[in-house]
Amino acid sequence: MSGQSKYRYLFSPLKIGPITVRNRVVFSAHLTNYAENGLPSEQHAAYFAARAKGGAGMIITEEHSTHPTDWPYEKLIHGFNSAVIPGYRRITEAVHAYDVPILAQLNHNGGQASSMFSRLPVWAPSAVPDPLFREVPKAVDQHEIREIVAGYGLVADHCAQGGFDGVELQCSHSSIVRGFLSPATNERTDKYGGSLENRARILLEIIDVVREAIGPGRALGVRLCGDELIEGGTRIEEAVAVARLVEAQGKTDYINTSIGVATATLFMIEASMHVPAGYASYIPAALRQAVDLPVIGVGRFKDPLQADRALAAGTCDLIGVVRGQIADPDFVAKARAGEASSIRTCLSCNQECVGRMGLNRWLGCIENPRTGRESITLPAPRRRGRRVVVVGGGPAGLQAATTAAARGHEVTLLEREPQTGGQVAVAASVPSRAEFLDIVRNLLSECQRTGVDVRTGVDADAAAIRALSPDAVIVATGARPARPWWAGDHARVVDVRDVLEGRAAPDGDVVVVDDLGFHQATSVAELLADRGASVEVMTPGMVVGQDLGITLDMEGWLMRAHAKGIVQSTDLVVMGATAFDGGKDGDGVTLDLLHHPTGAQRSRSCDWVVVATHQQPVDELWRELLDDPALEVHRIGDAVAPRRAHSAVIEGHRVAVAL
Amino acid sequence: MAGTTLTDPVVLAGRQAPSRVLFGPHETNLAAGRSISDRHVAYYARRSAGGAGVLVTETASVHDSDWPYERAPLAQDCAPGWAAVAAACRDQGTLVLAGLGHTGAQGSTAFSQQALWAPSRVADAASREMPVAMEQPDVDLLVTGFVRAARLAVDSGLAGVEIDAGVGALLRQFHSGLTNLREDAYGQDRLMLTREILSAVRDEIGRDVVLSLRLSCDELAPWAGVTPEMAVEQVRALAPLLDLLVVVQGGPFTASAYRPDAHAPAGHTVELCRQISNAVEGALPVVLQGGVVDPGMAQSALDDGVADLVEMTRALIADADLVAKVRAGAAATVRPCVRCNQNCRVRDNRNPVVACIGDPRSGHETVDVDVEGTDSHEGQGHRVLVVGAGPAGLECARVLAARGASVRVVDGADRAGGMLPVVAAGRETFGDLSDWLISECHRVGVSLALGSRLNPEDIRAALSSGESVVLATGSRASTPRYRTDPGATVITAADLLDAASRGTLSTVVGPGSRVLVNDPVGGPVGVAVVELLARAGHQVSIVTQDQIVGTGLSLSGDLADANSRLQQAGVVRILSSLLRAVTVEGALVEQRWTREQRVIPTDLIVDASHRLAEEQLYDALVGADVSLRDELVRAGDCIAPRTVHEAILEGRRAALTVLSRVATSRSRPSVRFEVAR
Repeated sequence: MSGQSKYRYLFSPLKIGPITVRNRVVFSAHLTNYAENGLPSEQHAAYFAARAKGGAGMIITEEHSTHPTDWPYEKLIHGFNSAVIPGYRRITEAVHAYDVPILAQLNHNGGQASSMFSRLPVWAPSAVPDPLFREVPKAVDQHEIREIVAGYGLVADHCAQGGFDGVELQCSHSSIVRGFLSPATNERTDKYGGSLENRARILLEIIDVVREAIGPGRALGVRLCGDELIEGGTRIEEAVAVARLVEAQGKTDYINTSIGVATATLFMIEASMHVPAGYASYIPAALRQAVDLPVIGVGRFKDPLQADRALAAGTCDLIGVVRGQIADPDFVAKARAGEASSIRTCLSCNQECVGRMGLNRWLGCIENPRTGRESITLPAPRRRGRRVVVVGGGPAGLQAATTAAARGHEVTLLEREPQTGGQVAVAASVPSRAEFLDIVRNLLSECQRTGVDVRTGVDADAAAIRALSPDAVIVATGARPARPWWAGDHARVVDVRDVLEGRAAPDGDVVVVDDLGFHQATSVAELLADRGASVEVMTPGMVVGQDLGITLDMEGWLMRAHAKGIVQSTDLVVMGATAFDGGKDGDGVTLDLLHHPTGAQRSRSCDWVVVATHQQPVDELWRELLDDPALEVHRIGDAVAPRRAHSAVIEGHRVAVAL
Repeated sequence: MAGTTLTDPVVLAGRQAPSRVLFGPHETNLAAGRSISDRHVAYYARRSAGGAGVLVTETASVHDSDWPYERAPLAQDCAPGWAAVAAACRDQGTLVLAGLGHTGAQGSTAFSQQALWAPSRVADAASREMPVAMEQPDVDLLVTGFVRAARLAVDSGLAGVEIDAGVGALLRQFHSGLTNLREDAYGQDRLMLTREILSAVRDEIGRDVVLSLRLSCDELAPWAGVTPEMAVEQVRALAPLLDLLVVVQGGPFTASAYRPDAHAPAGHTVELCRQISNAVEGALPVVLQGGVVDPGMAQSALDDGVADLVEMTRALIADADLVAKVRAGAAATVRPCVRCNQNCRVRDNRNPVVACIGDPRSGHETVDVDVEGTDSHEGQGHRVLVVGAGPAGLECARVLAARGASVRVVDGADRAGGMLPVVAAGRETFGDLSDWLISECHRVGVSLALGSRLNPEDIRAALSSGESVVLATGSRASTPRYRTDPGATVITAADLLDAASRGTLSTVVGPGSRVLVNDPVGGPVGVAVVELLARAGHQVSIVTQDQIVGTGLSLSGDLADANSRLQQAGVVRILSSLLRAVTVEGALVEQRWTREQRVIPTDLIVDASHRLAEEQLYDALVGADVSLRDELVRAGDCIAPRTVHEAILEGRRAALTVLSRVATSRSRPSVRFEVAR
């Protein structure tokens, strides 16, 4: 059965104003931090070309700033500078080579910015400071409004000259237009404030000048926020009314949608795996009922079938798949070929895409080491057909194995456990983290396609490895829990892995000690609370789970933690643990604690202590093999230093490329 | 050294530095990729021209395993830039040293995407990232890296190198029992690696090139860290290998002790440096580092034998001409560093470029026009009225008057400085900047009329008499976004600080009051108000929507310290909460995640919310005659209330706008700086 026939709507062409798309999958606008000195880079072109080659129906680039007052983050494309045009042409030519239309998003972030880079006052409809940037903006006067509107026309013209097939106006999650539309940020009393017609005036004026600039031969889209999820903000009813105004004006070709405000409710825009797939679909559904224009829906569309169902349900006419195509540029092509099961599905972990954006770093992907590196050509293998033995079937070993096999080597992977997956499988055993498992499931399926000989249940020692007479050995033996110095041999002090791997089942009054600041402590805390334990999470840091904010998991954690009665205690260092016989079954632990900001000492008795702390590398095999000068030995992932999954993947890929 | 002055030369490795002031290595985010850029060159050249004796360039990584921040220089990419810096500083005789280092476990894997190097598997307290324990081949690569980088620096024409064993350095991690748990020779003798590197570098570059070491002599973690007593032994062992030693303080738990903001006393490391100097017994020149920003204090350190040179990095960011001014007997005209760290401490993911609140051109030498000096006459014969004597107005007036314009500043308040003396009630050093602006204005002949409020008619009269008008009218309180019941007492942070600055705090807060500070901003003001009230003996709580207090303080490095100080002072932090209403009983506060509301009994609420632009005068004028929109020049908080940095930046731009109008015609504006293209 061909891929296409599995889907009723996904591969049906659609006319969007003057352009026609071959399928309904849109690589929608998102930040990449690939810009260099305010200009689009070669990496931009290579990045978009890879998704065009992979069959995306339509591509919309990241925002192009329309005015010098708008510079909220360092690596923004300064669309108002005509020097961008050669870079635009490089992008559009690269994408058009695959016959895929590409649009440019135009934007002014308004008050959702700071003056750090521009050294100019931030402009906004009213002097309402943004909740993230917290800089008081200048309320623009009507002269400045005309300048803003003209800026959109200027950049639209640059985009037309640069070969784009159209432009999209970001009026949604981080935009001065959103600022005008939203009652929460528009306190004006002139003709640009007050009634909805007034608040939408600047949008219609911008559409006028942009249509004028691009002419009838290019598409014009408007991206609206359906629900700001903030107090006094825009709700779906108003978004529908704005869509009607836009349609009635008759100059727009499609409506795109989004949910949330980038600087207040970002965690709902780029929702992590804790938020159900399709969570934002009520927005395109409501807009599509109100207007005849094609409507794009977004929000954790992870696989083609789910997308097709949304089309079938009439939720929207097109589907924005961003993270899905960041993880696998061939998302569409694989679906079309009937190989959807080989799509490297996105985990919605947000670690290397969203997470790196917030930190001003280039966009990457936890499970795609090539994302963000498309413009750098990989060297050819030094020699093909080498016999490679990979020891360890966690993410590092799996990635090394599949990359090596794909590059023409003969690869055997040895895993001690009955299944591959390593610590990822352990972490994903927490119900709310189940999608994390996809990373190793995808890798294993790639290993199978690339012809890796995967042998599980094999405890590989040096002799067994030498018996395979390898040309190269890649040691990816992972890490083991390490007991904190203060834990002694107390049986009621256990590691998070002991809990998840079933060696311990803490109940009653449980203290979780968090040295890592990520999901390890919080997910186990939730798991134990769900099982009925009374849980306190304790950290020497200033907040529990410091890095959850980066992946947009903090808000959800806080809401769930409060709902589950999980107590969070900060600034506490464990100084010792002693037996405590006053607990539920007389076999508990008393922790000696130091509150380091004040030097106050206290103690805390409980039934169990679960620690989420740094592990030790399992590197004995590597050391043993290192002594054999005849053997080429590499060490990757946690066996080097126990870190997060991305380090494992990237090192696995790097070592395999260098073979 | 007794008998020597700060501006006296000093000889290092046979080379003469023109003064005893050192401009130390620091992050600037000026690099182009990982190389020293033209902006770097201009930045360093300006300090050299201003009289710096020794200048150490931004620390370059000696090996590509180290990439601590995106724009961190990499030694192998620095040769052309170093050569350009050397050339730019040659005429002044400044000894330029290449800062060389490796940050080890205190680095970042974000850019290298490789495991961090460290002596042992100890995760850094800040990043929580587990490093790899260096194997012998890694150690060999590190030594080679230092040697090659030193060779490159010397071949590029620099006077020498400074090796980093300071607060954020891999070598310090080897020195420290906190991070070096090795069982091999590098663990038994924790100084061995540094000794090997210094010897190898010395062998490579010879005796006539300066070899300096930046050494953390107190990690402030005596249970396992380097103590001053240990440092004394280290220094004695290393002295024969060195030409210069920079004594610094701090370690993995106390990174802010290296260049703390003004919450630490100025010269907080003097005693540590004295201890090390005494131990060295003149065997090698010692540099005092640590919050010395005042030339008088620096001179005292020389007089008292604390040090032979003084690092004054931040002072030279604030006033590049510090040494020249001191040498000319004009120390009083040195623009003060207030140790706020607000714009010069730039180790931040966003890559902000180094700047200074008082001199925004710092770090922007190739971008901004030079406004210093009084030899220009381009404003002569022109009259300017500046409305508002805050930092924006005073800076504007200072620049205009220095260029020959006849300037009068009028303010309705009874004192000059605008928000600066107000803020100084909680952050004392800001008063220094205020005093400097006022005294410089007087020096260049600005006339200052206080207690005089101008109305639109006055402005129109001034304009029609040919006077240019600059509005710098500052800010006003915003309307609260929470409900305030009749009879409830709320005072703005500005009004409270104003009272404190006038010694009348007790008239607005009764003794032993329960005070709640509402801080939706998370900047320095809320924390300063809380600390002021706590010191005055009140029971203070602070409510913030964030999980910690003062989230905006991460840039200045005071975030963790501020939260600690508040807890030590017994301040109640009401976190993740919003102030919903002020009632006669107290504050109605809502927890963001549970939506639970509770009333905190209080006697007074202090509101540290954002302020709004004071636009009354502008609105009245432009409302009556829209053509005045282009006639009136505005600057600072009256456009949008921000920090003193923006006020001074825009004050300068306003002055330049006025001057450019003088240059072109007397009537029509040609340049507007509100939007720089």
